Amino acid sequence: MNSNAAIEVTNLIKIYKNAVSPAVNDISLTINKGAIYGLLGPNGAGKTTTISMLCGLIKPSSGSGFVQGFNLNNQLEEIKKSIGVVPQEIALYPTLTAFENLQYIGNMYGLKGADLKQKIAEHLKIVGLDNVSNKRIETFSGGMKRRINLIAGILHTPKILFLDEPTVGVDVQSRNMITEHLHLLNKQGMTIVYTSHLMEEAENLCSDIAIIDTGKIITQGKPKELIQQHNCTNLEQLFLQLTGKKLRD
Amino acid sequence: MLRLLSTIRKELLILLRDRGGLAIMFLMPMAMITIMALIQDAPFKDYQEMKIPLLLVNNDTGSLGKSIEKGLIDSKIFELNKETIADDVVKQKVKAGDFEIGIIIPKNATTQLNQNVDLFVTKKLAAAGLGDSTVSETTTTEALNLSILFAPDTKKSFKISILNSLKQSTSKIETQTLLAFFSKELNKDSEQINKEEPLAEFVNFNEVTTIETPTEALQLNSVQHNVPAWTIFGIFFIVISMAGSIIKERDDGSFLRIRTMPGSFMTVLAGKITAYLFITIIQALLMLLVGMYLLPLLGLPHLIIGNSLLGIAIIIICTGLAATGFGVMVGTIFKTHQQSSTFGAVSVVILAALGGIWVPVYVMPESVRILSEFSPLYWSLSGFHKLFLNQGTAISILPYAGKLILFFAATLSISFFYNKKD
Repeated sequence: MNSNAAIEVTNLIKIYKNAVSPAVNDISLTINKGAIYGLLGPNGAGKTTTISMLCGLIKPSSGSGFVQGFNLNNQLEEIKKSIGVVPQEIALYPTLTAFENLQYIGNMYGLKGADLKQKIAEHLKIVGLDNVSNKRIETFSGGMKRRINLIAGILHTPKILFLDEPTVGVDVQSRNMITEHLHLLNKQGMTIVYTSHLMEEAENLCSDIAIIDTGKIITQGKPKELIQQHNCTNLEQLFLQLTGKKLRD
Repeated sequence: MLRLLSTIRKELLILLRDRGGLAIMFLMPMAMITIMALIQDAPFKDYQEMKIPLLLVNNDTGSLGKSIEKGLIDSKIFELNKETIADDVVKQKVKAGDFEIGIIIPKNATTQLNQNVDLFVTKKLAAAGLGDSTVSETTTTEALNLSILFAPDTKKSFKISILNSLKQSTSKIETQTLLAFFSKELNKDSEQINKEEPLAEFVNFNEVTTIETPTEALQLNSVQHNVPAWTIFGIFFIVISMAGSIIKERDDGSFLRIRTMPGSFMTVLAGKITAYLFITIIQALLMLLVGMYLLPLLGLPHLIIGNSLLGIAIIIICTGLAATGFGVMVGTIFKTHQQSSTFGAVSVVILAALGGIWVPVYVMPESVRILSEFSPLYWSLSGFHKLFLNQGTAISILPYAGKLILFFAATLSISFFYNKKD
């Protein structure tokens, strides 16, 4: 395995029971440590299945891979300790306060006491929610919830962070704050794997991207280089050129 | 341990802040216990405690009237009201439901009975060539008719049992009179067999009690039935809340986030089960306190919980585990909150009906009683009845506790394999 790679997978295949075709079909990719890697593709392309396999949620049908040096097939517990996940849904408990939610998630990663309280306070301050830590999540706006959702995934300072559409449905200010925070975390050494339908955001945020469709990687590389290679003006144009304009759902 | 304690704390906080859920979990069973105990108090008393109101019009001044009256009082099942009124008025009062039964003993009934018996004895002796030969076999007597009236809604089986009882009582008097007349006719010393003297009973039935201590003399009344019954129902209703919580966590991504965390998911599940189990224990204790202290204030009997606190703890915990296991299974199998709440509610109501929560199992048809054996609510209720009615010990309820634990294990196993299948 490449010592500079945070994630390295080879010939990864996932075929669900009773499915006509593989959800992920022979994917090989390498994500270097410290990268912000965008996994882009239309709905049903295989992004979620790929991330689910990398997070240890589902087992690959075949293929091999390493996440932070741990084998994808038999070292899932070690992989889980080194990753953080920010799901697309607001995976928080509405009747608990922001602090209680983060305290619970911190406890689940083994964090406790003053150390945990300090971490929660620091992160809340960065995303501008330190003054509402004792308010219930159900009273928060969409943007505020998204920011807490992000903190919940990074509280234990993972080596690799998986984000699924982290800015969907939020206002420009909240989106800006989230992307700034991701840049900050990346500068601190965190590898970020990110999916989004917002091509402009991906173009600005990602150091590397892969465009995936029908379970296969169509292209991968640095966004600017790929745009130039395909004579496109931006990532959205490149995306449409490679995946087509046909509706997927 | 931190993961377990943290999950318990999180679940309890969520439950305590859900006011609607709390109302369903605590107020609903409390209301059910109170309402059902009040509603069923009279029917339970009908069968077990309440005396049957009886109107007696005794127009006879002789021994027959007195004997019947004494027999009714001695039976201790009637609330005897003796009046001197016309037959029509008796009919009206019984028809109106003022009395369940009316009995009219006609004037000179004793004299008529004596005449009838005298004639019968004389005829029999004449036929045998003894006594007065002028009395022929064809000489007839007028039968003595006692009138008995029943309220229009009286059940046929009840009528038959009352008529049999009265028939038995009057036949004793008839026999007594008959023997006295035979003695007299056969010139035996009338002092030796006094017609007022009670007859020797050659065969008699004595009720042998199965109860050894006074506290065991406890019958199933509305409180003894309804408090444990609706407590169990309330405990099982947690299925809806628990299944809903599991589905919500699955839908909002929390379940996914938890699965990406290191450590066993079983710890998280154990935390959830513990929190809900804690709620069921509080629920049960509260309901028992309602039975012991609130219901007596409403004029109902107070709940008697027997002598085994350990037994009560075991049956409550096992019932709670069975309910939470069922909740986990429903939450795992069903995809939406709507599906799970509908199935959860309907299944608990069906299991409750089969389990004897609404009406005791012994009044159900045989075929339904067989099905009852498969209801976890029945196992739990049987355990409570064993403790509350039969002064059972912790050991005596272990068979029921064991079944509930097996049910818990089975539901968790089904959930586990269903998840694995997915």
